[in-house]
Amino acid sequence: MIIEDVPCPFCGCLCDDITLTIKNNRIVGVENCCVLGNAKYLSKQRLKHPIMRKEGKWVEVSFDEAIEETARILSGATRPLLYGWSGTYNEAQVTAVHLAEELGALIDSTTSVCHNPSILAIQEVGHPGCTLGQVKNRADLVIYWGCNPIEAHPRHLSRYTTYADGYFFENTVSDRKVVVVDVRESETAKIADEFIQVKPGGDYLILSALRAMVRGRGDVVPATVAGVKKEQLQRVVDLCQKARYGAVFFGLGVSMTRGKYKNIRNAIELVSELNRKTKFTISAMRGHYNVYGFNEVLTWMAGYPFAVDFSRGIAFYNPGETTVIDVLARKEPDACLVVASDPGAHFPKTCIEHMAAIPTIQIDPCVNPTTALCQVQIPVAITGIEVAGTAYRMDGVPIRMKKVVETEFPTDKQILDRICERVRELNGNG
Amino acid sequence: MKVTITLWDRDNPLIPVEAEMITPDAFFSGEEIIIAVGNRHMRLDGIADIHIEGEASSAAEVAIEIRGDSARFKRVGEMMTAGSITIEGDIGMHCGNFMSGGSIEILGSADGWLGREMKGGEIICHGDAGDYCGAGYRGGRKGMRGGSIEVVGSVGDFACEHIAGGEVIIRGNTGDYPCAEMKGGTVIILGDCSRVCANMSAGTCYVYGYADEMIPTFERIGCVDRDGLQLHHFRGDVANRGHGDLYVARYGYLS
Repeated sequence: MIIEDVPCPFCGCLCDDITLTIKNNRIVGVENCCVLGNAKYLSKQRLKHPIMRKEGKWVEVSFDEAIEETARILSGATRPLLYGWSGTYNEAQVTAVHLAEELGALIDSTTSVCHNPSILAIQEVGHPGCTLGQVKNRADLVIYWGCNPIEAHPRHLSRYTTYADGYFFENTVSDRKVVVVDVRESETAKIADEFIQVKPGGDYLILSALRAMVRGRGDVVPATVAGVKKEQLQRVVDLCQKARYGAVFFGLGVSMTRGKYKNIRNAIELVSELNRKTKFTISAMRGHYNVYGFNEVLTWMAGYPFAVDFSRGIAFYNPGETTVIDVLARKEPDACLVVASDPGAHFPKTCIEHMAAIPTIQIDPCVNPTTALCQVQIPVAITGIEVAGTAYRMDGVPIRMKKVVETEFPTDKQILDRICERVRELNGNG
Repeated sequence: MKVTITLWDRDNPLIPVEAEMITPDAFFSGEEIIIAVGNRHMRLDGIADIHIEGEASSAAEVAIEIRGDSARFKRVGEMMTAGSITIEGDIGMHCGNFMSGGSIEILGSADGWLGREMKGGEIICHGDAGDYCGAGYRGGRKGMRGGSIEVVGSVGDFACEHIAGGEVIIRGNTGDYPCAEMKGGTVIILGDCSRVCANMSAGTCYVYGYADEMIPTFERIGCVDRDGLQLHHFRGDVANRGHGDLYVARYGYLS
C-alpha cells in the first residue's frame, strides 16, 4: 500500500509531501524524506512493555501498575515538574496542561532550551514574521543567522528558500541571494553569496552595527566589529536595502549564545529598521516537529507559551525562575514527569543529577539516555506514524499528522488521561 | 511594632517559599499571613516563630526582622508602602517587588529580581545580588521607576534592564548587559562590566571600572571630570535613536 502526502514527524519543517510504502503493517519504503526523517520512519527499536525499578532492578510491569505508581508519585509531590511535550501532538499536550493545573506543577517544554529567548524577544518587541509559503514565492534575499539548515533542517532550502521554485521567480537559484552568519564555515555557509564569520558571542554587536548603518549612522561604527570588517557589513546592508523581500532565519547560534534574547531582540529591531526601506521578515528555525504546537497549546490554555508554574493555583510565568534548567539546577523539583523528549541526552550534568536523585517517570516509545534517570518508563504509540493528531510547523501553520500503521500501544493522550483521572481521585477531586 | 520572624529548619530547604505577605502593611493590618511552600498553602506560623512586640499606629512604625534560612523565600516586601524589613541572611527572588516606600536591608545576598519594578523606598544589600536587579518583568516596557538600590557586592546579568527612574549604586562588578534598554534614572557601577547600556534610549550611567565589549553604536562626545576622575562621555544607543548618557573610566571593544 502506498500512502502519499504524509507529514514527517521529525523537525520543524514538517514536510507534508512524504510518500510511504506499507507492507504487512510495516513501513518498508520512504520517498521525498531527508536522512533524518527517513531514520525515524525506518527505526525498529522500541520499548515493548512499561518498566519500573524494583530493588535496584528493572522489571516489566503492567500499564495499570505503571500508571498507578506515576499518579502516586506526582500527587504526593510539593514541587512536581512536567517536562518535554515537543514530540507529541496537541491533543495530548492539552491533557498535559490539565494535569499540571491539577497537580499545582511546573510545566515546561523543550522550547526552554532552544527558542525560549526568541519568545522573550518577541514579547518585548513583537514578531514581523510570515509563513514559509511567502518566503518561497517572494524572498529574493535569505539570511541564515546562527543556523545550519543543510545539516539540521535538510529540506528547508529545497522546500522553502534557495532551491524552491517561487511564483515570482524565473530562476530561483540565480535570482535569490543567500547571506550566512556563523562562527564557522558550515555546510550552509559554503553556498552563501556573502558569509559573515563572527567571533563567538559577537552577534549582538554585529546586529547593532547593522542597525546603525541601515539608518545612515555608520560613522559611529568602529573599523571592525566582532571580527567582521566594516566594509563587509556595508556590503550586507546594501544587499538588504536592494532586496525586494528579505527573509531572516535564525537558529540556536543566536538564541542560545551570549546575550540570548537580547540578540533576537536586536535582530527583530534590525528587521523593523529594514522595513522602513523595503520588505523584511524574521523567523525562528524551530527544532522538534511540534515544539511550536506546545507553545500554542499552553498559550491558549494558560496565557504563556512555556515555563508555567501552577503551584499557586494560577499560571505564573517567569523564564529564569520557572524554566526547567533553572529549577533543576536549584534542585527545586521533588518529582518529575518527562514526556516526548530526552533531557538525559541534552541537559547539563547538575540538572541530570537532580533528576536521578528524585522520582522521575518517562513516557516515551524508546529507551534513551533519560531512561537511565527514571524510576518508571511507559512506552506509547508514535505520533505521525501510529497515531493521528495536530502539530504546528515552525511558521505556526497547523498540520494534521497521519496514522499510517496499526498499533497496540496506547497513545500519549490515553496514558495522560488515565494519570490525570487517578491524580484527581487521589486528591479527592474526582 | 517590632516583628521578629525566626524560620525553622525545613525538611527540604530547597523547595521555594512564596511569602509576598511578609510586609509591614500586612502585619499592621493584622491579616492572617499565608505563604506557599511549593504547591501547599499554609500559615507563616506553621514554619516559623513569630514574635511581636509593641504596637503601631501605621505601617511605617512596623519593623520586621527575618532570621534563619530565608535564601529560598521569594517576594518578601512585595508591594510594601512603608516600614522596614531587615533580613539577617540571604533572601530569595523578587525581594521588594513593586515597593513604593519604606526600606529593606539585606545583610546577606539577594537572588534575582531584587527591587523589580520598584517605585519608591530604598533597598540596601550588603552581599551580592542576582540577575535582573532593579529590572522589569518579561515583556514589560519599564523596570525600576523610582526609589534607590545599593548593592555593596556584585550583581548578575541584565542589572537594571528597562530601568526608567530611580537611582542604583553597584559597588562591585556587574555581569553582562547592565542597563540594557535603559529609559531613565541613574545607575552607578563602581566596578567592571560588559556590554553596558545596550539599546539604551535615555538615562545616565557611570562606570568607574572597565567597560568591556562596548556596544559599537555609541557616539563619543568627549571627556568630563567627575570626582577628580576623567570619564569618557558617550551618547546613544545610536542604533536605537537613543540619547542616553554613558560615562566610562576605561573601555574596550570586541574588534
